[in-house]
Amino acid sequence: MSEKDSAGGIDRILASVLQRRLRSITEEMALTLLHTTRSPILSEGRDFATGVYWANGDMLEQTEYTALLGFALQPSLKACIEYFGDDIRPGDVIFHNDVYQQGNQINDLGVFKPVFFEGKLAAWAACKAHQADLGGGAPGGYNPDATEIWHEGMRVPPLKMWEGGKLRRDVWDFMFANSRLDIVAEDVKACAGSCTVGERRLLEVLSRYGRGVFDRHVVFIMDGAERIMRGEIASMPDGEYEGESFLANDGVQEGVRHPVKCKVTIRGEEIAFDYTGSAGPTPGYANAPLHAATSGLMIAVLMNVDPQIPHNAGILRPLQMIFPENSMLNAEFPHATSYGNHLTHQIWDAAVKALAQAIPHRVTAGWNKCYWGNSSGFDERNGRRYVDFFLFAMKGGSGATEGLDGMNHIGTVMTGGAMTAQDPEMHEVQTPHRLRHFEYEADSGGPGRWRGGLGVRSEWKILARDAKVILFGQQTEPGEEPFGLLGGKPAGLNTAKLTFPDGRERHIKGHEVFPAADGVLIEMTASGGGGYGDPRLRPAETVREEVRDEIISIESARRDYGVALNPETLEIDEAKTAQLRKGT
Amino acid sequence: MIQIGIDAGGTFTDFWLTGADETLAPLATPGFMHKTPSTPDDPSRAVIQGIGEMAAARGMPAEELLDKTSLIVHGTTVATNAVLTGRGARAGLITTRGFRDVLEMRRGWREEFFNNKRPLPKPLIRRALRRTAAGRLDENGGELEPLDEAAVRKEVAWLKDEKVESVAVCFMHAWANPEHEKRAAEIVREEFPEAFLTVSSDLHPQIRLYERVSTCAFNAFVGPIIGNYLEKLEASLRNLGFSGAFLIMGSHGGVMSAPLAVRRAASTLLSGPAAAPVAASQVAAPHGVENYIVTDMGGTSYDVALIQGGQPLVSQESWLGGLRIALPSLDIHTLGAGGGSIAWTDPGGILHVGPQSAGARPGPACYGHGGSEPTATDACLALGYIDPDYFLGGKMKLDPEAAREAIRRGVAEPLDMTVAQAALGIYEIICVQMAAGIREVTVRRGLDPRDFLMLAAGGAGPLHANFIARELGIPALMVPSDSAVFCASGMLASDLKHDLAVSWRVRFDTLKAGELARRLSSLRSEIRDVLAGQGVSAEKMSFEPGMDMRYLGQYHEVSVPLPAEAIDAPDLADALRRFHERHDALYGYATADMPVEGITIRMSGRGHTDRPEVRPQPLGGPEADHARKGERPIHLPGAAGRVAAAVFDGEALRPGNRLRGPAIVERPNTTVLVLDGHELACGAWGHCFIWPEETADEMRAKFLSAFLSTPGAASG
Repeated sequence: MSEKDSAGGIDRILASVLQRRLRSITEEMALTLLHTTRSPILSEGRDFATGVYWANGDMLEQTEYTALLGFALQPSLKACIEYFGDDIRPGDVIFHNDVYQQGNQINDLGVFKPVFFEGKLAAWAACKAHQADLGGGAPGGYNPDATEIWHEGMRVPPLKMWEGGKLRRDVWDFMFANSRLDIVAEDVKACAGSCTVGERRLLEVLSRYGRGVFDRHVVFIMDGAERIMRGEIASMPDGEYEGESFLANDGVQEGVRHPVKCKVTIRGEEIAFDYTGSAGPTPGYANAPLHAATSGLMIAVLMNVDPQIPHNAGILRPLQMIFPENSMLNAEFPHATSYGNHLTHQIWDAAVKALAQAIPHRVTAGWNKCYWGNSSGFDERNGRRYVDFFLFAMKGGSGATEGLDGMNHIGTVMTGGAMTAQDPEMHEVQTPHRLRHFEYEADSGGPGRWRGGLGVRSEWKILARDAKVILFGQQTEPGEEPFGLLGGKPAGLNTAKLTFPDGRERHIKGHEVFPAADGVLIEMTASGGGGYGDPRLRPAETVREEVRDEIISIESARRDYGVALNPETLEIDEAKTAQLRKGT
Repeated sequence: MIQIGIDAGGTFTDFWLTGADETLAPLATPGFMHKTPSTPDDPSRAVIQGIGEMAAARGMPAEELLDKTSLIVHGTTVATNAVLTGRGARAGLITTRGFRDVLEMRRGWREEFFNNKRPLPKPLIRRALRRTAAGRLDENGGELEPLDEAAVRKEVAWLKDEKVESVAVCFMHAWANPEHEKRAAEIVREEFPEAFLTVSSDLHPQIRLYERVSTCAFNAFVGPIIGNYLEKLEASLRNLGFSGAFLIMGSHGGVMSAPLAVRRAASTLLSGPAAAPVAASQVAAPHGVENYIVTDMGGTSYDVALIQGGQPLVSQESWLGGLRIALPSLDIHTLGAGGGSIAWTDPGGILHVGPQSAGARPGPACYGHGGSEPTATDACLALGYIDPDYFLGGKMKLDPEAAREAIRRGVAEPLDMTVAQAALGIYEIICVQMAAGIREVTVRRGLDPRDFLMLAAGGAGPLHANFIARELGIPALMVPSDSAVFCASGMLASDLKHDLAVSWRVRFDTLKAGELARRLSSLRSEIRDVLAGQGVSAEKMSFEPGMDMRYLGQYHEVSVPLPAEAIDAPDLADALRRFHERHDALYGYATADMPVEGITIRMSGRGHTDRPEVRPQPLGGPEADHARKGERPIHLPGAAGRVAAAVFDGEALRPGNRLRGPAIVERPNTTVLVLDGHELACGAWGHCFIWPEETADEMRAKFLSAFLSTPGAASG
């Protein structure tokens, strides 16, 4: 096979093979990282991404275990390249997390390793992982009381931790003296190890093909991905479309709504998302750094194009993303931003509501917007302190789409279904929680021709000494319900209730921290997703079967779906149903 | 007496016949292979058909062959297909109140994070048939609330009214205390004795509710199906006068009696490829090979398994159709890459192969069954690797023009290249994908593929294996002579096997060796009873204990094998040392001063079966010219234009013969491609080795010289 058989010296086969090889490198890096990190948020939650980049920082391939990190790496890498300029040498390893220099979340530490071939910078291997603790006012990176960046953790502007292959021990010790947890240093070492694996494999590829062939073909690969993205956009009708959402609770001020507006403009093969008109900065931690916002928006984009599209810099070229300066979605120094990732819900809702006018057959209705928290304290069964997140209770339903009901218990949209709930038995072994109820909630999916995915209702007692419960998130205020589409109905709200051992009850909304005495009962409902299309067009037989499965009540069948059932036999009352459905 | 291994696959049912009776299995080969088309509507028909054909080939009626047969081992995909097509038994579940949906939730995960149009797998038991009863145990097995027996009785009656055939019982924390489940099972037997009953603490008393309830649902869903199938097949065999033993292949790489296979039906779900590693150990062991990668490339999939220290690796984390099976199975990684994988181009101008497959019908374009999309097999034909007149030994004619036309339309024209370039691209890409799969399997375990020998089986495997081995830097490749019916031959070499695991949480700093010994011995006696019930005598039994351990506070445990002596006299310090070592190998670190807890104890019991005897074979010289059939032009990866490749008759090659690539070795059911710069050397029984020429002397010395210079020792 000749390498120069078509215009521009491109061998199409080599390009195809190279793309597969690059993908395989990022997969190997991700596996390496998965198996060498220790904190559960990485080894269990898989809150990281790995990738390989061109010399200029352009994304060539990525493996994203969490959707939200998909587009957080390239901007940080470019910031590092700009910062160091000519001063990048073989054996360097660069750390970075600064949200005010193209980072996304302060706990998401980027690790970047330049790959030199024949004495010249040829590529980069990189990863970004959510570190369990990088200092700041609260363990774990979510501090509802933060009002400035220094309350949230340690800022790491571009920093060479290894220089010319030599670890800067003093810098290392300085950095990890500022973390509460010893394992963080180990996890960061694992990140550097993963980059070394990537470097080694990239060098194999470079030696095999040579720099010139490599460069020409990665350009072709990125151009190809761009062509696919342009084709996807071209298939969307031209026009301007607007969508809107709002944040109801910023954690500091009560009763203030922060609007998020998105104008989508489709012109031929290009698309723009303009969030001008969205709210200004909030006083607390509910602000997104620019690249938390762009990463959140990319979830909305990627969910509405061919899922097989390669993830490289080419797909970004036909996209324009505008987040107004000094706003809630593009925070300025020194605002606190650790809740910024959660604004994905607003960014996604506004974009998808606009896209729904252009490509109604592709989009989904609204997803559950997560409300959750954690408990921490002293576990008397083993004499140890613990902290555990309410992953199981926060996972609500996804929105329905044309041709498919929403997915049950798959949320949040930030992770795209990547984050798993705890197993009930192992959860009771690991954490002093006693589960009383953990099931789908009937009628929680927004009614529709295609029904919204179901949410869950959970009840559990906390059996711990000196326990503390933090609850935070959204969708607890009327108006925040996951939206329905094209006649589909919205889902309900998230709810949380605490019952104290003395019988006192409290319904909770917003962001709060409580001391929790031994025996406190928590009841939470994560809503389902929104419905799609007129529910009275849902086949009556399907509705009847869902009543049999007790995921729709007989009342909802009648009220929302216009299906009358005999309460004893669940037979469809055809005449009554026809009457209820008249006019659809 | 004769022994027959029968592997009923989706396309073909493979047979492997061995035995001491020279009139039936002459000395020249270790066994006979036979293939007959499968009959998916009732797979037992192909089994009976094939036995008839093998008997007819020996001029006798099926009755006579079966009369001389002492053992039939059968691998079946009946249970797997029931799951994949959703046609299992109507099953009901009784579980703990408040936990009705754990089965369907799958822990709230999906495979593709950006794909909102791909439906989640459907649960095997729908919600209406998932019933709950009050009654709650804590994580130590203590009773928090007594079982509501009246509710259980009511729900069983309800399921009976709903006409379920199968009932599963799975309660929260039953791994720690089976009493509630035992009581519920009694109630099921009283109220609904004809139901197929699955009880979680009996099938799989291991912690993690999702894993356990999912495994139970599989068992309930396929139990009655495989029960009916095996009953019918065994009756047909007995009617033809078969009076020998009838055993079933399990996912764990062992065999078991038919009644046990029915009771533990979920343990047959992944049995399809499970015999390949066993077959591999049979052919590789005599060459002193202990660490190897077994690959099996069929029409739609590519199975990869690792063997370390002569032992296939076992996994507790298997999935079928997106649903979890927690019973131990051989750790086999399946990729969607096979001879039928379809090549396509995306709008960005990138070529892809698979995961869509043309399957057996319509199959590759060259089969002439109406397939029009280019597949990996079409590419091999267009490149000259396959002789269109010698596919399946000439039983099936291939249409090279149809292959070229499909490649032209599907790949060459969209990408503006020649058919030969496009075909090479398809070949190279599917090989690179398979290599990436092997790399993932090894890396996941902290291993380097270059430390392994690769073994290539499956009809399409030996055409691609040399490229894959070269891509990965694997030093030596072995192509067994029976590669086309590899699983059928592996079945006959499999031991009877029964595995049990029981969760038991214990901290090592408080653990008493005597308590561990008591629990391990009790597992052993339970397994001993099961093996004895299948006719295994005590001296043929062996036991492999193990323990799943983790650092206190970790979420995932590591399965640590213990020495057999540990059953009676456990050495706790040694167990800890093994755990730290294994943790270090898998995850790159160990922390000796951190407290460790045990989560689950395991035992694998074997009843050793008599292996078919393999007789020695005379040595030939290095010259291979006597087997040369001719030559034909082929396209080679990385070379422009066509080159002449010598073609050899694989049946005529003798131990010790050598040949140089580029070359093609043809056998009735498979074709081996030897790349330029490589040598193929023959071992005994038609097994071939391929390695780079520059290391050929070293490799021959390592794998062949000892073996071939003492033919008398060539048994195993």
